[in-house]
Amino acid sequence: MVAANPIYYIALPLLTAFLLPLFGKLHKELIRIVPGLLFAYLAWMSFVLINQVMTTGQPIVVQIAGWKPPLGINLMFTPFSGFLVAFINILAFLVWLYSYKFKKVEFDNALKYFVLLMLITAGSTGVIVTGDLFNQFVFLEITAISSYSLTAFYRGRDGAEAAFKYLLIGSLASTFVLLGILIIYTQLGTLNMADIARNIDKMPQSLKIAAFLLLFVGFGIEAEMFPMNGWAPDAYSQAPGPIGAVFASMTSKAGLYALLRLSFTIFDFSVASKLLFVMGLLTLIFAEGIALRQERIKRMLAYSSIGQIGLIMIAFSFNTYLGFFAGIFLMLNHALIKSLLFFSASFLVYNSPQKYIRDLNGFGKYMPLTAFLFGLGAFALVGFPPLSGFWSKFYLVTAAADKNMIFLVVVILSVAMVELVYYFRVLHRLYFAEPTGEYEPKRPRWNAALAMILLAVVILAIGIYPDMVTGYIGKAAHAIMDKAGYIQSVLAR
Amino acid sequence: MNRPKLKLRKMNSLEYLKIVLYTTSILLIIIGLYAVVIKRNLIKIVLGLSIVDSGVNLLFILMGYISGGTAPIFSPAVMEKIQAGQSVSMVDPVPQALVLTAIVIGFGVTAVALALVIRLYKHHKTTNIDEIRNLKW
Amino acid sequence: MVLLYLTYVLLATFFQIPFGIDHMNVAREYLKHSPKDLGVANAVTAIVVNFRGFDTLGEVTVLFLASTGLGAILFRRREIHTMLNPRRTSVVASRIVQVAGKFLFPLIVLLGAYVFIHGHLTPGGGFQGGVIIATGYLFLLLAYRQFAIRHSVVTWVESLAGATFAGLGLTGIILGKQFLQNFLPAGTLNDLLSGGIIPLIYIAVGFKVAAEITGILDTVLSIGVEVNEQTQTQTQKNE
Repeated sequence: MVAANPIYYIALPLLTAFLLPLFGKLHKELIRIVPGLLFAYLAWMSFVLINQVMTTGQPIVVQIAGWKPPLGINLMFTPFSGFLVAFINILAFLVWLYSYKFKKVEFDNALKYFVLLMLITAGSTGVIVTGDLFNQFVFLEITAISSYSLTAFYRGRDGAEAAFKYLLIGSLASTFVLLGILIIYTQLGTLNMADIARNIDKMPQSLKIAAFLLLFVGFGIEAEMFPMNGWAPDAYSQAPGPIGAVFASMTSKAGLYALLRLSFTIFDFSVASKLLFVMGLLTLIFAEGIALRQERIKRMLAYSSIGQIGLIMIAFSFNTYLGFFAGIFLMLNHALIKSLLFFSASFLVYNSPQKYIRDLNGFGKYMPLTAFLFGLGAFALVGFPPLSGFWSKFYLVTAAADKNMIFLVVVILSVAMVELVYYFRVLHRLYFAEPTGEYEPKRPRWNAALAMILLAVVILAIGIYPDMVTGYIGKAAHAIMDKAGYIQSVLAR
Repeated sequence: MNRPKLKLRKMNSLEYLKIVLYTTSILLIIIGLYAVVIKRNLIKIVLGLSIVDSGVNLLFILMGYISGGTAPIFSPAVMEKIQAGQSVSMVDPVPQALVLTAIVIGFGVTAVALALVIRLYKHHKTTNIDEIRNLKW
Repeated sequence: MVLLYLTYVLLATFFQIPFGIDHMNVAREYLKHSPKDLGVANAVTAIVVNFRGFDTLGEVTVLFLASTGLGAILFRRREIHTMLNPRRTSVVASRIVQVAGKFLFPLIVLLGAYVFIHGHLTPGGGFQGGVIIATGYLFLLLAYRQFAIRHSVVTWVESLAGATFAGLGLTGIILGKQFLQNFLPAGTLNDLLSGGIIPLIYIAVGFKVAAEITGILDTVLSIGVEVNEQTQTQTQKNE
């Protein structure tokens, strides 16, 4: 029996999620412990698999049910998809660690929380690691439904409204994706991504464009692309704090990955890059602009997150090695830094009912650790050395300059200025404002603090020694550029 | 994009069927979208979503039809025919399998949507979506 | 209006797809392999459970998610004894419905069980059979106000059936093959005991779907009671 197989990323969480209610009947504490064991195992497996893929250079292809693709569904653990899956699952472990002593809910809801957490992780992983288009749709739906339920998790009324808005837009997205898959299937008779990529020329042009647009918009909605990201700020702000981190790092990455796989491997449009660029730019500018006006911290973080996704899309739209490299690095940093920000912000505004920033006066004194970590995250995001955010912005600017897009460099730097402004507003309130004494600060417990400190340590480490990850990222960038290699590893067996 | 010209005189039954069926499913999708976007009652919006799902699934199944084909089941009768050397044409089974999954997923989404409607009603005492637009920019 | 334009665009796009033309590619292979290698007569079942079994696993998860999400969103408290609170529906069902319910219920369950056990031989399968059984329960729930579903039973069946599906898949790995690969003999075509693990999976799916949909229906129906009570108490409190 193989100990490390990408299928475990999905089979084990599903099995555990199905059995968790029964574990709960055995002993209450098992509900909190078992997911932790699962995530720890998956995190360990991520390290093993990533090392394997990086050293051999060959992607791991798992044939489900023993049928060779394109007959069966297959999982593709390439350097690119594998890298994303690896850090998603490691982050899932940190999210579990953070929410281990989730005291805000009683027994029954803790069960649902952990089940949903496992399923949303499995769903995001499934979207990224699968090699079959319809399978991607199914996992996208799993991710989406978990997100709707998690958004509405708390008893307040705004959660239900945010979840409903999310649901409406999300269902529209899945309709588009289904229609796109329909067109592709009727023309090519297959649903395997590599097979579609191989035969894509056999489609008449108008249908090809239609299918591409439908799929692009459908996946783009999940990836929080402009202008269909109206659901995102509400969802981020109403969901529990760690779930905001999950949305930022996992679900948006899944949607983004689907978009990228669509644009660069399945379809061969040159206009796809331009479309990515334009949408990315629009997303970035609108999101960062609106973030300035936000008064509530979680909504501000949500808009900042959307802006980062716009930045990632721009990076990928360059279609050069440097661009892909910067994009992947940005993805990694976005996941790490946003998680840290959401984790710390969640404690900062714990007792403030509306989560306004102005409630944070003077908390720097009462919650030194949390405030410091938030500050660290903020600086990392803006791009100060020696934190990891600096490197990703650096590579992005290099990639842009490489393509002689000087105006884009200006845009990126000015956006960084904007980010500095609104993050500094929070820090100003934390450290330099007089405490009003209205709200009790809430200290994080040991597990949450540990999770946050681990994230901060990683961010610092990558900032000082970026070579820790640049090897992986380089291989991943090569992998996404290599369309022919992808097709070959799947079909030529 | 060339829309096939309708030759009202020379259409055989397959063409006629195609127009009717495709138009029906697309009309379903449009009606559902209309309900989602225009209607103000929460339950009507969820109904609209359900109608859109039906339309899309219907369209999907239609695409699997192969004229002259029979159900893709190797029943004893079909096996006899095959053993006798006759060729049996079958309909495409894959869209049926995909739609099975899609219907169940649509059901799951509808269930969650209705649960949210119940909760919204409990809090706001109304099912009018305009009253519920609390969260703004 | 925008909608008319949208209609035109959709029609123009989809009309380009020919109707009734044979463009099977992968499907041809499925039709070839299904009776020979798997011993399953119903090709759709073979696709759903074996060739694309991973999708079905995802689908089963979606159902599980729906019932979990419902529980998370609606905060059903522990086991409200609906024996003491028989206000599930506003109108008492008539005598005809009650008698018919009692009579038809076992027949409906039998039909559902038949459909999902013979999923690999005749049209139908786990999902279809499970839904039929759930409608039987719905009939009883609507006919009798005092009829209560014990959610602990539902939870057990759900969890065990889901675990069976995933477990059967993992057993394939333990035996050295791939996930969800068929490891039992295929048997002869059109026999009840053919198809390897496919009928087993479909039976598990049938149980799971029946339990889940019944649970969802019961949750939604008993929430109706809470809303009636709570609207009274909340107009007194100050929301």
